[in-house]
Amino acid sequence: MEIRPILSTLRRHKTAAALIVLQIALTCAIICNALFMVGQRIAEMREVSGIAVDELLRIQIIPIGEEANAQAQTRSDLALLRNLPGVVAATTSNQVPFVNSSWNSSVNLQPEQERPTLNATNYMGEEQFMDTFGLKLVAGRNFEAGEYLTLEELNAPDRTTGYPSVIVTRTMAERLFPGEDAVGKSIYLGSSTPTRIVGVIEHLVRPSRQGGPSAREYTMILPIRATYDLGAQYIVRTSPERRQEVLAAAIAALRGNGPVRIVIDENTKPFSELRSEFYQQQRGMAWLLGIVCAALLLVTALGIVGLASFWVQQRTKQIGVRRALGATRGQILRYFQVENFILAGIGIVLGMLAAFGINQWLMSQYEMFRLPLVYLPIGAVALWLLGQIAVFGPARRAAAVPPAIATRTA
Amino acid sequence: MLDMRQVTKVYRTELVETHALRSLDLRVAEGEFVAVTGPSGSGKTTFLNIAGLLETFTRGEYVLDGVDVKGLNDNARSRLRNEKIGFIFQSFNLIPDLNLFDNCDVPLRYRRMPAAERRQRIEAALTRVGLGSRMKHYPAELSGGQQQRAAIARALAGSPRLLLADEPTGNLDSQMARSVMELLEEINAQGTTIVMVTHDPELAARAQRNVHIVDGIATDLSTGPALGRVPRPGHGAAAAGV
Amino acid sequence: MFGYYLNLALRSFRRNKALTALMVLAIALGIGACMTTLTVFRVLSGDPIPEKSDRLFYVQLDPQPLRGMLPGEEPEDQVTRLDAETLLREKRGLHQAMMTGGSVTVTPERGDIAPFYTDARYTSADFFPMFATPFLHGTGWRAEDDDANARVAVISRELNERVFGGQDSVGKTLAIGDTPLRIVGVLGNWQPTPKFYDMNQSRFGTVEDVFVPFSTSRDLKLGRSGKMNCWGDTGGDETGLNAPCVWMQYWVELEHSGQAADYKAYLDNYSAQQKAAGRFEREPNTRLRNVMAWLDYNRIVPNDVVMQLWLGFGFLLVCLLNTVGLLLAKFLRRSGEIGVRRALGASRLEVFKQCLVEAGTVGLAGGTIGLGLALLGLWAVRQQPTSYARLAHLDGTMLLTTFLIAVVASLLAGLLPAWRAMQVTPAIQLKSQ
Repeated sequence: MEIRPILSTLRRHKTAAALIVLQIALTCAIICNALFMVGQRIAEMREVSGIAVDELLRIQIIPIGEEANAQAQTRSDLALLRNLPGVVAATTSNQVPFVNSSWNSSVNLQPEQERPTLNATNYMGEEQFMDTFGLKLVAGRNFEAGEYLTLEELNAPDRTTGYPSVIVTRTMAERLFPGEDAVGKSIYLGSSTPTRIVGVIEHLVRPSRQGGPSAREYTMILPIRATYDLGAQYIVRTSPERRQEVLAAAIAALRGNGPVRIVIDENTKPFSELRSEFYQQQRGMAWLLGIVCAALLLVTALGIVGLASFWVQQRTKQIGVRRALGATRGQILRYFQVENFILAGIGIVLGMLAAFGINQWLMSQYEMFRLPLVYLPIGAVALWLLGQIAVFGPARRAAAVPPAIATRTA
Repeated sequence: MLDMRQVTKVYRTELVETHALRSLDLRVAEGEFVAVTGPSGSGKTTFLNIAGLLETFTRGEYVLDGVDVKGLNDNARSRLRNEKIGFIFQSFNLIPDLNLFDNCDVPLRYRRMPAAERRQRIEAALTRVGLGSRMKHYPAELSGGQQQRAAIARALAGSPRLLLADEPTGNLDSQMARSVMELLEEINAQGTTIVMVTHDPELAARAQRNVHIVDGIATDLSTGPALGRVPRPGHGAAAAGV
Repeated sequence: MFGYYLNLALRSFRRNKALTALMVLAIALGIGACMTTLTVFRVLSGDPIPEKSDRLFYVQLDPQPLRGMLPGEEPEDQVTRLDAETLLREKRGLHQAMMTGGSVTVTPERGDIAPFYTDARYTSADFFPMFATPFLHGTGWRAEDDDANARVAVISRELNERVFGGQDSVGKTLAIGDTPLRIVGVLGNWQPTPKFYDMNQSRFGTVEDVFVPFSTSRDLKLGRSGKMNCWGDTGGDETGLNAPCVWMQYWVELEHSGQAADYKAYLDNYSAQQKAAGRFEREPNTRLRNVMAWLDYNRIVPNDVVMQLWLGFGFLLVCLLNTVGLLLAKFLRRSGEIGVRRALGASRLEVFKQCLVEAGTVGLAGGTIGLGLALLGLWAVRQQPTSYARLAHLDGTMLLTTFLIAVVASLLAGLLPAWRAMQVTPAIQLKSQ
């Protein structure tokens, strides 16, 4: 198929050709970036939390006024919960994943550092913390019985040392001691006395998204027996089928144990729901981007159909002459398809350049990542296909022009 | 009315120069009915375009009803065309979306005429051509002859000083052609100057005066009182008699 | 002539229904997307207190130790309790207030309403006149109540409805935590958008239900909420007066915005004094931002919303390019008729005007349908579980803007096709293809 006559015809219809090219370019640029953003959101929604999401329940419970016997009440509540049928483990902590409140500390490698090495979140875990959340140790050990402290003991005025031990995530261990075994090493948590790393767990996410994606798993567990009113919650582990039943039983048991307290119903739910709500914004944005991409493709397709139909109509006499000179229907069809392919090609090249430009700008303003190259062929193929589908109708109409048109006067 | 002196039109492309008109001289007095004949490619269409202010010319002078058109900008030419000239085309050129009334309305609108005056003129023009009862009809509903008469009504509605007709009967059968020519003669009798381009010698004979254009040069073949210039020797091909 | 061209445009639409529908739909989609995102953006970036937003200032000091300091760094975005109480005592502005967030349990006297948990704000007396909060009943408390740790509270209209059935509850008591507090005022309808005074709570959420004097809240050890940043040994008491922690917000109202420089000089002087006294370690590094500057600094409009706005504009641009092409096709298809009109006396300008009127009419039609699509889009936004979802409404200004953008955009789109159309030479041949 001769390309030159196609190009010279296009050169004579510069405006309409330019419009098709620009539309395709702009659509390609937007779609490449939009699909990338969708991919990012989906990746975020798929992240590994480290906890046994489908087996956990959260109960938010608050004392009215001050809790006078926080330690005793907490111990009693936990004993009660652990004895309920169907409960595998129960604990309390200052914070949980998927709830936007979080405790953070600076982590140093040396006692007197100008700037902290990193900022990590700290979960206060008592004896059943690891078992309740289903965390997996990949190095070292869990805390021993004698290592646990209460906050009062920690803050006692005559205490000279800070936290004795800590468990960190693998990501954090890699960041602090790259390539080495972190177990046994020491870090400094806002005091001049060292805190020894006794264990490394595989995954545990921070409660909120603070610090960005790279800091998502800068997490520590400190051996502190928090009282329930610190985080205002109990976490209960059971089997997935028994969740509703155990939740109801747990709430009833807690209500009956001790002074009147408030159970906050809207925040008392299985972790699977908390997780779903946590990602709602990502989900919504991914859907929105998807719809916009679909609409953009539709609009561009309609534009191509409109302009191609117009062209066919303008060139009806030419087409008739070609047919009279011996062109087959298939050749006329292919002519228009090749013409569209060329235009789409130019548009796609421009569009990819524009996609990178847009991505650069987004990176500088809105903390985006660099557009991975894989999205470019996706966008390219999508638009080439779109162009071919859109031009098919008008091209078929062109092929149906009878050769007799050639002999009729304009 | 129409006074062209030494009008030359040269079409220039990158490689080729075409002289469509070469020093054409032509004068038409008020109230004349002139037929312009000539073979195809002779330049008569170009002449008509220039006469109708549809095209500019390269050299020469053209005075239309006392107005020198040289140096007029596009707006001024449009206005002059609108006020002084009526066109009648071979393929009628009525706008298919509009009915007869609205078709005749088009030139009057560009003259910013008030609605009452427009209505009066259109009704008068359509009635004059015998289509008064068909004002709301669309061109597609009319025969060829009726469409041409509607086009004539459109040309007349603005009371033009000059009617330019390009093969007005070209698309009509002989009976319709005769009726259209009668109408034109009637209009001429009432004082409107008519210049008609045709290749039909029978039609040309019905005009008062014939002008023959060949290779861009006009030669007068007047059968009536000689008002045009006599061809000068050495000016290109002489015309064959009709 | 405008009426004539409008008439011709409408006729042309009727004749080319498919093409016109395509153009109108394209514009409608673009307008719908654009207006939805623009409305949400406008709601989120609006001025929450326009009558005095240039006179209300947020104070930032730098009490942190020298270690870890980067030159030119922004100071902390909250102040310590000691600094807040000191500045409040010195009273250098027209009004000033310290404040922080909290959560309290409320136990209604009526036994049939269960105790519940709600948001609170611990602040000082000037909060109410400074932010011009409307009152349904009663007033805020007085400065003497702050000093005396008075057991008083101001409640929101919603809380008043919930607990007292909407009656005038001034003078009644409400058990907050363990303690009964006397209600001195019930707020009217007050919904600053965003909730600018504390950037660490839900920024577009509803106003707190209970307002208690800060001193009282410390006395009763009521629970706090919000952000707290400590840099030293707190000894277990981060809310203590001398704790090395920032967790309070401090706002000041000046008589007019020109006094800001003077007040900042006062803050710098205060910082220098604290340094001389050994409490501050760094050189004076203060900030004084008015409401809009403070919102801007906090990037109040979420990134996602800004991204959506750009997406909306990009979409509109694609739709406009589409329209340019379709209009071009439409006008050039009629080049025969344009030639005849030129022959009959239309100047180039008249042809241009006729085409623009047609483009504008398409824009108007597209804008009308686009308005419907925008309303649909905003309904979808309201179904989202975001804090600002309920604010997504189209007001009068945005309604007019919709039509304005639609018509202007379509006129712009029509410029190129109209210019091409007006180049058509006057012709006496109607090419009927």
